[in-house]
Amino acid sequence: MFLEIKDLKKSYGETGNRTEVLKGISFSVEKGEICVLLGPSGSGKSTLLNIIGGIDTADDGYVSIQNEKTADMKEKALTKYRRKHLGYVFQLYNLIPNLTVRENIEVGAYLSDNPLDIDDLLHTLGLYEHRNKMPNQLSGGQQQRCAIGRAIVKNPDILLCDEPTGALDFNTSKDILRLIEEVNEKYGNTILMVTHNDALKEMADRVIKFRDGKVRKDYRNEKRTPVDELDW
Amino acid sequence: MKRIGNPLRKRILREFIHEIGKYIAIFLFMTLTVGFVSGFLVASGSMKHTYDESFERYNVEHGHFVLKNEAGSDFIEEIEKRDKITAYKDFYLEEEADINGDGAKDGTFHIFGERKEINKVCLMEGDIPEKSDEIALDRLYMNNNELKIGDKVKVGNRDMKICGIVALSDYSALYQDNNDIMFDANLFSVAVVSKEGFISFGDKHKYYNYAWLYDKKPKTEVKEKEAAEDFSGHLAKAVYMEENQLELFLPGFLNQAIHFSGDDIGKDRPMMTVLLYVLIVIMGFVFAVTINNMVLKEAAVIGTLRASGYKKGEIFRHYITIPVLVTLVSAILGNLLGYTIFESVARDMYLRSYSFTTYETLWNGEAFVMTTVVPVLIIALVVSITLGRKLSMSPLRFLRRDIEKRKKKKVLRLSGKIGFMNRFRIRIIQQNLSGYLTLFIGIVFSCLILMFGMIMPELIDEYSKDALKYKPAEYQYTIYEPYETDAKNVEKYCISSLKMQDDYYDEEDISIYGIKKNSEYFDVKLPKEGVTITSDLANKYKLKKGDIVNLKEEYGNKLYAFRVSNIMEYPTCLGIFFSMKDFREVFDMEEGYFNGYFSNQELTEEELPEELVAGCVVEEDLTKLARQMDDSMGAMFNLVQGFALVMFLLLMYLLTKQILEKNTNSISLVKVLGYKNGEIGKLYIVTSIWVVLFSTVFSMAFNTWLFHIILRIFMKGFGGWFNLVVSTELYLKMSLMIIVAYLIVVFMQFIKIKKIPMEQVLKNVE
Repeated sequence: MFLEIKDLKKSYGETGNRTEVLKGISFSVEKGEICVLLGPSGSGKSTLLNIIGGIDTADDGYVSIQNEKTADMKEKALTKYRRKHLGYVFQLYNLIPNLTVRENIEVGAYLSDNPLDIDDLLHTLGLYEHRNKMPNQLSGGQQQRCAIGRAIVKNPDILLCDEPTGALDFNTSKDILRLIEEVNEKYGNTILMVTHNDALKEMADRVIKFRDGKVRKDYRNEKRTPVDELDW
Repeated sequence: MKRIGNPLRKRILREFIHEIGKYIAIFLFMTLTVGFVSGFLVASGSMKHTYDESFERYNVEHGHFVLKNEAGSDFIEEIEKRDKITAYKDFYLEEEADINGDGAKDGTFHIFGERKEINKVCLMEGDIPEKSDEIALDRLYMNNNELKIGDKVKVGNRDMKICGIVALSDYSALYQDNNDIMFDANLFSVAVVSKEGFISFGDKHKYYNYAWLYDKKPKTEVKEKEAAEDFSGHLAKAVYMEENQLELFLPGFLNQAIHFSGDDIGKDRPMMTVLLYVLIVIMGFVFAVTINNMVLKEAAVIGTLRASGYKKGEIFRHYITIPVLVTLVSAILGNLLGYTIFESVARDMYLRSYSFTTYETLWNGEAFVMTTVVPVLIIALVVSITLGRKLSMSPLRFLRRDIEKRKKKKVLRLSGKIGFMNRFRIRIIQQNLSGYLTLFIGIVFSCLILMFGMIMPELIDEYSKDALKYKPAEYQYTIYEPYETDAKNVEKYCISSLKMQDDYYDEEDISIYGIKKNSEYFDVKLPKEGVTITSDLANKYKLKKGDIVNLKEEYGNKLYAFRVSNIMEYPTCLGIFFSMKDFREVFDMEEGYFNGYFSNQELTEEELPEELVAGCVVEEDLTKLARQMDDSMGAMFNLVQGFALVMFLLLMYLLTKQILEKNTNSISLVKVLGYKNGEIGKLYIVTSIWVVLFSTVFSMAFNTWLFHIILRIFMKGFGGWFNLVVSTELYLKMSLMIIVAYLIVVFMQFIKIKKIPMEQVLKNVE
C-alpha cells in the first residue's frame, strides 16, 4: 500500500470548546492513483490534506507513506520528507511576485536532485511563451498552471492539491484539471485533490467522500472519465 | 541534470531595486554614521598614539613647581637626593602680546628658552629661534589669530619675528593656569625663544619653574599621588627654611595642560562607539520592522515554500541577506570615507582644540572591527531574533497568515464614547505597535542628540552671559602683599583657595573670599555665623543651609569645615564668602591683611605697582570658556543638530512608510467603500501625529531629566559648574524643527496614500 491513513483524529480549540474536525478517518491510496477528497466546506478535508503533507499533526491515528509514518518524524525529517516526496498546490497560487514564471518553477526544481526538464515542463504547462513574465502579468489560470509546475517539477511521489480550481471559472478550471490529469499520466505521480465540486469525482481513480469529519463513502472508479467529458 | 542554485537569490537584487528608496535611505544613514565614527576613531586613535608616545619622545615632566626666587644648586641637589627625582630648570616668562600692532593686549604668552632636556619642543614648521628677536609660537594660537611665519608681534616691550610653528609636549591643551575652567587658545600661547632672546626679557615676569622627573616613576596613580604628597610636604618645608616661597606645586597627573587632551580623547572614544552602536541597534529595529512586514506580506509564499520542503535555514538566509549586505557595504564604504574625508573632519575638530605634536594617520584594526564587524553582527543579531521568532512558526500558520506571535486572547474593548475615527486610530496603533515603539525609541534618541546639539551652545552662552552679569568688578586684582593704594572706589578683599572634599566629584579648587561687610561690589549680607556660599557651589554639591562644607588646604593636610548659613546668587563661581575679619582668623593672618582689590577702573602703575600684581581678572578671562568651547565645538554642535534631524526624518519616513505598506489592503478597501484620500489621511496620518507628538513631548521631558544626570557625570572630572536651564525658546525651536521635519514626511505619506489603487484589494494576494 502506497499511502495509508488509519484512524486519524484531529480537534481544534481549547478545552470545553473543542471542535472535532476529523473523527477517525481511514482509507488508503495506491501509487499513481488520482484520489479526490470530496466534501462540503468545514468537513475536514483540507485538515486531512495538511496532515498528509506533514504541515499539521493528528491527535490520534497515523499517516504512512510507503510504510513510513509521518508522526514518527521530527521536524527536520518532516521537512526532508516534504522536500523529497511532496508537491503542493493551493487554491490561491502563492507565487513569488518578483520571480518570473520560469524562476518560480525553478524554486521547486531547486529542491530536487533529479528535477524534470523545465523547458519541457513549460511546454506541458502551456506557459513556454510566458516563461519570462512576472506573476502579475498572468491570468488566474496561468498562475495556477505555474503553481502546478512549481509543485511537480521536482517530480514528487505525491501531489497534494487543495481546491486547485476553487478560484477559477469553468473553462480555466477544466484547463487546470486537464493539466493535472496529464501530469498524472505523463509522470505517474499519486495525486490527492481536495474539492467540494462533486463533478470532479468522475476523473478520479479513488473517491473519498467526507461529511462532519468522517468518511461517508470510499470507492474506486473502475473507469475514470477524461476531464474533457466532465461538466458541472 | 545539474542541480540549480537557489532561485530565491534572484529576488534579492529585484527586492533591493523595488525598495530602492528605503534601502538608499538606510544605506546613506549607515554609511555616514559609520564613516563619521570610523573617521573619528581613526583620527583619535592616531592622535592618542602620538600623544601617548610623546611622553617618552619629548621627555615630558612628571610635575613642576614654581618658586618665588631662583633656588640654589645645593637646594636642588638636596631635594633631588631626598625625593629621588631629577629637577630641571624650566623657567618661563609670562608676557603680554600685541600681535596686530594696535597697542592693545591680544593675549598672554608663556615664553620658554631652550628646552633640550625636558618637555622638548616639537617643531612643526619653520625654524627654532636662533636670534634674540625670533620667536616660535604654538600652532593653534597662530591659526586662531591668523598669524604666519614672518609676521611681527610685540611681546612685552620687544618686537619679535615669528620664525617657527611649534607644539609643546607639556601644553597639548593651552591652559594658562591649571585652575582655569577651560584652556584658551585664542588669548594664550606658549612660545619658544633663543637663549639670548630669553635673557633679553629680563627677570620682571620670570617664573622660576622647575620641572621634575622621578628616578623611578610610580607605577599607579595612587602611588604617584602618595609620592607627590610626600614630595610637596618636603618641598614646602625646605622652601620655607630657605626663606623662599612655593608658589605652585603641580604633579603631572593633575596638570590639565598635559592630561586634558589625552583624557578628552579617551572619553570621546567610548562615547562615539556607544553612539554608533545605539544608532545601529535602532537601524536594526528598522530592519526588524521591515522584515516583520515583509514576512507578513509574504506569509503565504513562505508557507508554500515550507510546505514544499524548503528548510527554515534557507528561508532565513534569504530574508537576512539584504539587511546584512546593506550593512556590510555601508560599513565598508563608511570606513573608506572614514579614512579619507571624515578622518580629516575629526582631525580638524581635535586640532581646533588641542596643540598636538605632529602626527600621522595610523591604520586602526580595532576601529575597523568596531565599525564594520560589530555593526554587521548587531544587525544580523537583531534581524535573526525577529526572523527566528517568526520562522519558528509552522508552515500552516504561514499559509493561514496567522503569524502574530502573541495571540490576542482578549480584544481591547474601546468605549463607544470614543468617536469611530479615534477608535479606528487606536486599532491602527495596536496593530502596528512594534513599528510605533521603534519610532518612539528612535524619536527619543534623535531628540536626545538634537537637544545635545542645541543645549550645549545655549549652556555656554548662558555661562558667559552669567559670568559678565555677576562679575563683582571690572578688574579683580590679586596682589602678592598688602599695599595701600590711593585709587578711589576700590575695595580690599582677601582671597585664597582650598580643595573641595567630596565623595563623587574629583578634588577641585574653591575660591575662599574675605570681603568687607556691606561690600559695594557684592550684594550680600554676610551672616554672623557660618559662611555664604555661591549658588553654583550649592547646585554642584547639592548643599543647603545648615550643611557642612569640607575642604583641605592646597599644599598640606590641614582640613577646614564650614557651616553654610547663606547662599548667594553668583553663577559661574564656586566660592565661599565670609568677612575679612573671619578670613584672617581662619587662615591665621595678621590684622590688616588683604591680598586683592576690586575696582571698576584699571589701576595705574602709580596706584598699584605692577610687580605687586599677582593677577588681574578682567572680562575676557571670564568669557574664556565660552570662546574656547565655541571654537572647539561650535561647528560640531551644528553638525550634531543636522545629524539628529536627518536621523529623525529618516526614521519617520521609514517607519511610517512601513505602517502604510502594511495597511495597503485596508487603505485600498476603505477607498472602495468611498472614503476620500483626505479622510484616509486623517486616519493614518493623524495616528502617526499622535505618536510623534507624544514621543516628542515625552522626549523633551525625559531628555531634560537625563541631561541633568549626564551633566553631573560630565562635570565629574571638570572644575566649575554649568547651570542647566533649558529655555522655553529652545523647546519651541526644537518643536518647530521637528514639526517641519514631520511635515515633509506627512507630505510624502499623503502622496503614498493617494497612489494606493482601489484595485489593490480586489486583486489576488500576489
